[in-house]
Amino acid sequence: MPIDIDERDDVLLRRSAKGDQDAFESLYRRYQAPLYRFALRMTGHPWAAEEIVQEVFLTVIREPKKFDPKRGTLGGFLFGVARNRVMKHLERMPRDLPLAEKTDDGFSPDTLASKELTPVEWTELRERRAQVREAVLDLPVAFREAIVLCELEEMSYEEAASALQCPVGTIRSRLHRGRALLLAKLEMLREVPRRVNAGR
Amino acid sequence: MQDDNEITGRVPMTCEEFALVCLEVRSASEDSALRQAVLEHARRCPHCATLQVNLQTLQDDLRYLGLETKGSEAAPRVQMRVMQEFRTKHRSEKSHRFASMGTLGLAAAALVAAVVSWTNWRHGDGGIPTNLVAKVDPGKSSWARPTAPDGLVIGDTLMASSNTGDFTLLPGSTPSPMEDATVVRVQMQRGALGALGFTINEEHASDLIQVDLLVGDDGLPQAVRLPESAQ
Repeated sequence: MPIDIDERDDVLLRRSAKGDQDAFESLYRRYQAPLYRFALRMTGHPWAAEEIVQEVFLTVIREPKKFDPKRGTLGGFLFGVARNRVMKHLERMPRDLPLAEKTDDGFSPDTLASKELTPVEWTELRERRAQVREAVLDLPVAFREAIVLCELEEMSYEEAASALQCPVGTIRSRLHRGRALLLAKLEMLREVPRRVNAGR
Repeated sequence: MQDDNEITGRVPMTCEEFALVCLEVRSASEDSALRQAVLEHARRCPHCATLQVNLQTLQDDLRYLGLETKGSEAAPRVQMRVMQEFRTKHRSEKSHRFASMGTLGLAAAALVAAVVSWTNWRHGDGGIPTNLVAKVDPGKSSWARPTAPDGLVIGDTLMASSNTGDFTLLPGSTPSPMEDATVVRVQMQRGALGALGFTINEEHASDLIQVDLLVGDDGLPQAVRLPESAQ
């Protein structure tokens, strides 16, 4: 049976639970990218993000009944599973921030920098963005999630609340505090720009 | 110069309020009056103006970070692994289902075979009380002797219906308890029925028919019955 591109998530999930490969593939295509980006931005590692996406979909394959439509959307459920995996990853792995920018399927080189920048400005911009990236990864997980979903993934408060399974007010306050923390961290980083090098 | 707020009569925004509103970027951008108040405060307070610039820079940097990874998605190898797992799971489920169905089918077949065997056994020698089914023993019954003058012909194994109804008592016989009787099916010439007191159509007197005899424990026939096929 052909899959409608707008087919509802719960229908696709039900069909895939019965062994419909096309339905499962549709679900995968619909959710893998946002889940991957979320995991990548939370962990900072493409390999970890891939592992997390894989585990999320393996959960869908092995335990499709874990999703209860009465408790929320499938997207929210998948983000919930991804969050748990991210937490486990962060507990397991002490943060190992890749200082060098990645060029493969992780963080790409600056593509939006203006061509009108001088080499000095360009270097400063790159450095500042690296500091922002590091500051985001340094945020406590709850604030990082809010920043990642609302600022980087550009979700609405409602969508983020659904993904994180918490009230909209919580998202709002976490975002607020996350921004304040980021600002504080970045000001601190600007005073001591090469914190890592300074320790050597 | 008079402050705008003094003109409009509004209470000017404090630095704390400014910080709160600035951090709540979306509210500030959605509410034009609030945005106006923020701009007004930033114009008057250099510290808050710097904060606003920093926040704007942070906002830009975050947006950049978002765009940087906007097109990112899991590598095709992840999809391959996931799809492989999907196929493996559902293939094994399918084969498990077939195996279960096969097992059930075999069990059902075994049950049917057992029931049929049991039924056959019940209707055969083992299941029917010996007083209702018997092999004809020529030495035990003069009726069953092949050389009987009345033309009685005996089959190898004679099995009659265990139903002892529809028997007609032979002349001179007295009813005896059914527990002691045996039903025996024999083949005989129709004419021999005349010796048992039945009226015979002479035209068919030489026909071979099957007859059920109720034989007492003394070996003598007590009653006779014509099975439906013989009538």
